[in-house]
Amino acid sequence: MYLPDFEYFTPNSVEEACRLLSQYGSKAVAIAGGTDILVKMKKEVMAPEVLVSIGHLSELKKIEYVPGKGVVIGAGVTHNEVMNSKILHEKYLSVSEAAHQMANNQVRNLGTIGGNICNAVPSADMPPILIALDTTVKIVGAKGERTMPLENVFKGPNQTVLENDELITEFVIPDGNFTGSTYIKFGLRASGALAVVGVAASVQMEGDIVKDARIVLGAVSPVPVRAKEAENFLRGKKAGEELFAEAGVIASGECRPISDIRGSAEYRRDMVRVFTRRALLKAVNEGHV
Amino acid sequence: MAKEFSYLNFNRNKEYSYIGKSLKRTDILDKVTGRGKFTADLKFSNMLYGKLIRSTEAHARIIKIDTSEAEKLPGVRAIITAKDVPSIKYGLSPARYDETIFCIDKVRYYGDKIGAICAVDEETLYKALKLIKVEYEVLPAVFTPAEAAKEGAPQIFEEYPGNINTEIHLEFGDVEKAKKEAYYIRTDRLQGQRTVHGFIEPHCSIAYWEGKRVTIHSAHQSAHYLQHHIARIFNMKEGDVRVILPYIGAGFGGKLDVSGLDVAAVALSKITGQPVKMFFDLEEVWYNGRARHGMDMKYTTGVTKEGKILFVESEIILDGGAYTGLGVASSYYAGALLTVLYDFDNYRFDAYRYVTNLPPCGAQRGHGQPHPRYAFESHLDHIAEDLGIDPIDIRLLNARRANTVTPNGYEVKAYYLKEANEMARDVSGWKEKKGKLPKGRGIGVGNGGFVTGAGYCMYRTDLPHSIAMIKVYDDGTHAVVYTNAVDIGQGSDTVLTQMAAQAMGYPYEDITICTRDTDLSTLDFGAYASRQTLMAGWAVKRAGEDVKRKILAQAAEMLKVKEDGGYRFGKLTPEELECEEGIVYVKQEPAVNITFAEVARAYFVKHGVLIGRGYYHPGKLGGTHKGAAVGTSPAYSSATQIAEVEVDMETGLTKVVGTWDVHDSGFVVNPQLLHGQVHGAFSMGIGETIWEKVIFDEKGRVLNGNFAEYRLPTALDMPYVESLVVDTFEPNGPWGVKEVGEGATTPTLGCVANAVYDAIGVRISELPLTPEKIWRALKEAEGAKEKGGK
Repeated sequence: MYLPDFEYFTPNSVEEACRLLSQYGSKAVAIAGGTDILVKMKKEVMAPEVLVSIGHLSELKKIEYVPGKGVVIGAGVTHNEVMNSKILHEKYLSVSEAAHQMANNQVRNLGTIGGNICNAVPSADMPPILIALDTTVKIVGAKGERTMPLENVFKGPNQTVLENDELITEFVIPDGNFTGSTYIKFGLRASGALAVVGVAASVQMEGDIVKDARIVLGAVSPVPVRAKEAENFLRGKKAGEELFAEAGVIASGECRPISDIRGSAEYRRDMVRVFTRRALLKAVNEGHV
Repeated sequence: MAKEFSYLNFNRNKEYSYIGKSLKRTDILDKVTGRGKFTADLKFSNMLYGKLIRSTEAHARIIKIDTSEAEKLPGVRAIITAKDVPSIKYGLSPARYDETIFCIDKVRYYGDKIGAICAVDEETLYKALKLIKVEYEVLPAVFTPAEAAKEGAPQIFEEYPGNINTEIHLEFGDVEKAKKEAYYIRTDRLQGQRTVHGFIEPHCSIAYWEGKRVTIHSAHQSAHYLQHHIARIFNMKEGDVRVILPYIGAGFGGKLDVSGLDVAAVALSKITGQPVKMFFDLEEVWYNGRARHGMDMKYTTGVTKEGKILFVESEIILDGGAYTGLGVASSYYAGALLTVLYDFDNYRFDAYRYVTNLPPCGAQRGHGQPHPRYAFESHLDHIAEDLGIDPIDIRLLNARRANTVTPNGYEVKAYYLKEANEMARDVSGWKEKKGKLPKGRGIGVGNGGFVTGAGYCMYRTDLPHSIAMIKVYDDGTHAVVYTNAVDIGQGSDTVLTQMAAQAMGYPYEDITICTRDTDLSTLDFGAYASRQTLMAGWAVKRAGEDVKRKILAQAAEMLKVKEDGGYRFGKLTPEELECEEGIVYVKQEPAVNITFAEVARAYFVKHGVLIGRGYYHPGKLGGTHKGAAVGTSPAYSSATQIAEVEVDMETGLTKVVGTWDVHDSGFVVNPQLLHGQVHGAFSMGIGETIWEKVIFDEKGRVLNGNFAEYRLPTALDMPYVESLVVDTFEPNGPWGVKEVGEGATTPTLGCVANAVYDAIGVRISELPLTPEKIWRALKEAEGAKEKGGK
């Protein structure tokens, strides 16, 4: 394994980064933590001639709460920064916990949340919980900017709607009515394992009635998917283990898992059933955890 | 009846200066600061970088190798294939030398060695590799022993008809007669998987020539075997081959074969006249293989009503991969040591090692043992269950005792497996837990042990197994221990330095050790078969005692007992003196003393250099049957392990929550290092029980050749570990020592598998016990129950 030659730019702003990406077109990619790109380059899965570094841009490094808007997380924030953020601990501990479950300490120290999304791996740990909280993304390109729900960013494994010259700059978890949320990762060992199944759930409770719920499944479809039938089924019903077990059965019918060396499709489908139930119970009983 | 001589509690009241203590490792600063150099860290001027050219077919005839494009690339210095190197066959089992430096006519697995290339830098090297074109005539391949055994199956080697590489049929006692006497007979069949060692340092080898001599720096477990085989392959004198082993990032048996890197580095540096560094990327370590064989094991055992074993019949089929390597020994080890563990008279052992079109298998920590131990310990639990006996009770009943001889002729001196079982039972809370834990939680026991060094060299020779030399500095203020014992991380440098200090009566901190260099240091066969502490230990102890003898003789001439009121007049004899911690004193008058250093200096002035010499050969050991050389040893360790697990009954995920190990390791030179071995063994064994397996695709390509998808346990997966020892003394070991390194891995697979069985009530017959397998087994059991209920 040997890293091939490439040109390396360290722009001073997002704007300049987009201009460089636009200038070099398909020859260039943006790099932040490099935990995915450098490995792929060594394995010759990709061979960009130009790397545009964005990991150092301070405008991508913030985590802040903007009243009326929500929690804003810059795309250049690392997983360990998400994990240790006081704002997230107060508002959405579930997001910090999801970051904590990603890979291992070394990767979390370098890998950014924007990278985790743009890499668009089906088993990625951040998308399910962020989608469950209705997160929107701000995308900036050479020709302007746009905003969309995170849910709509993914097109397939390693594919997003981003144009060549576009970057995700920030995530906004809007102020909402969710009373609880959680992400359960099921990996094959305690650390440094990809999710075989990842299930995020968020709930809006009124007393013991489920007013609204989101169930987002990772690693069981080409892109993270919402189990919308299960969500509909839950609305307006009285929370309880049996209800959530049934929601789990419905959700397991909504995923499209494949068989690979980490698990068979059959097993993954059943794990969706188990972890949907567990995630709903946790979100209802424990809040944002 | 005369009381049986016991080696138990032999050391209870002994207090030594430097052994039996957790002294600081000799290599600690080098390792923690990163200052220590491993082979890959070394650089020489004009050094070239080389890689092997590997097969991209599992089984094929080589039609043409086109290197012309690669040769045109500036910076490429040499490309060699079979035609450029000796065609001599080599390996590690003399009866089955079947590997050549590069494939001559055909390739036998995906990743097989076709040639080697070197260039001025890594970038050029990788570019050039891609320009080499190999044309194949693809042959049908076999990937399992079952496929290899089929009639009309493709033949991988002409010399192994039916693809059978090793076949063993041994019988001791009279199994048929015992069958008639047995109260209960049961058969179980279980499978163990192919694993890799999981060391973090990939192999690397650097060679350069100076005149007729070649020097090789290599990540290897034995300087001697590497020297021997390089000399043999290249038709050189052993004295013209110098092997230097820098620090080694573990081996576990995977760095014992002569790797393609070693031979290619020697050949390429000869052609280019420059130093050549050959190295593996991590994935290539999987292709190099030489790790644990996949095994299919069938045991039939007959017992009395009380559970006493009357006979065992075992048939083991091994997936050997493409070449033999150490595979003959692995096959014999798979059957040899069951008789050491349990005391029974009638034993039949049949084994078939097949060659397949996959990377070759070899030795991995516990060589040939952990899978058969897993299978038999599972089998024994079923027998106990069927008879209504507690699993530990059946082991206590059958455990071999000290001072006995096995039916296959091995002499066992100190052996306290029964005591280990009892202690493990008591510290783990077995009695309170067994049968009383809630569903999903379970406890299991496993026994194991190993040889303390192989009784015979791997090739036929009369050389001693270990030689040591100790040289004291001119002024007596420092000493150097010379031995080619190989510290691969297990801590032999530390333990041997402690032993030298103890034997000499000289401060540990004033001794350094010079090892792993065939020019500078002295013969030792290296780190395998758990031999360094006992075998190199004997040589070092004797060398230390030789120094001490000379010191005491010199001191006798120098010390004077005071005459007025002293205990006597006249000249002292050496026998009246003792030397401890750098001070020589009169035993009956310790106030009369002199420093070791002063005596050593006086010795130097009078006689020249002060040197101590030590030697070890195990002599002729027991066992006369074919293959007896595998398994015979001066001493046998034993151990009991207990594991407690928690299984998620919905997902099948197993969490090991507690582990206990009680070892009969003889006298323990450095307790902390022993506990380190036990912790490591649990990590390795738990990984092999629950997660680890090498996965191949339909072309024989490795699918998980990295540590992300080949999952070793992380620190977060590790349970609570309690490591204890039975205080024993091995008469065949220096100060009573025995091994711990490999034996500690042998009970783990069985005890964890038994704990999982206890937790879920279903036996899964094939390792590893992945969550999905447990999930499926539980579902099937549930299905069967419902069906039965209707």
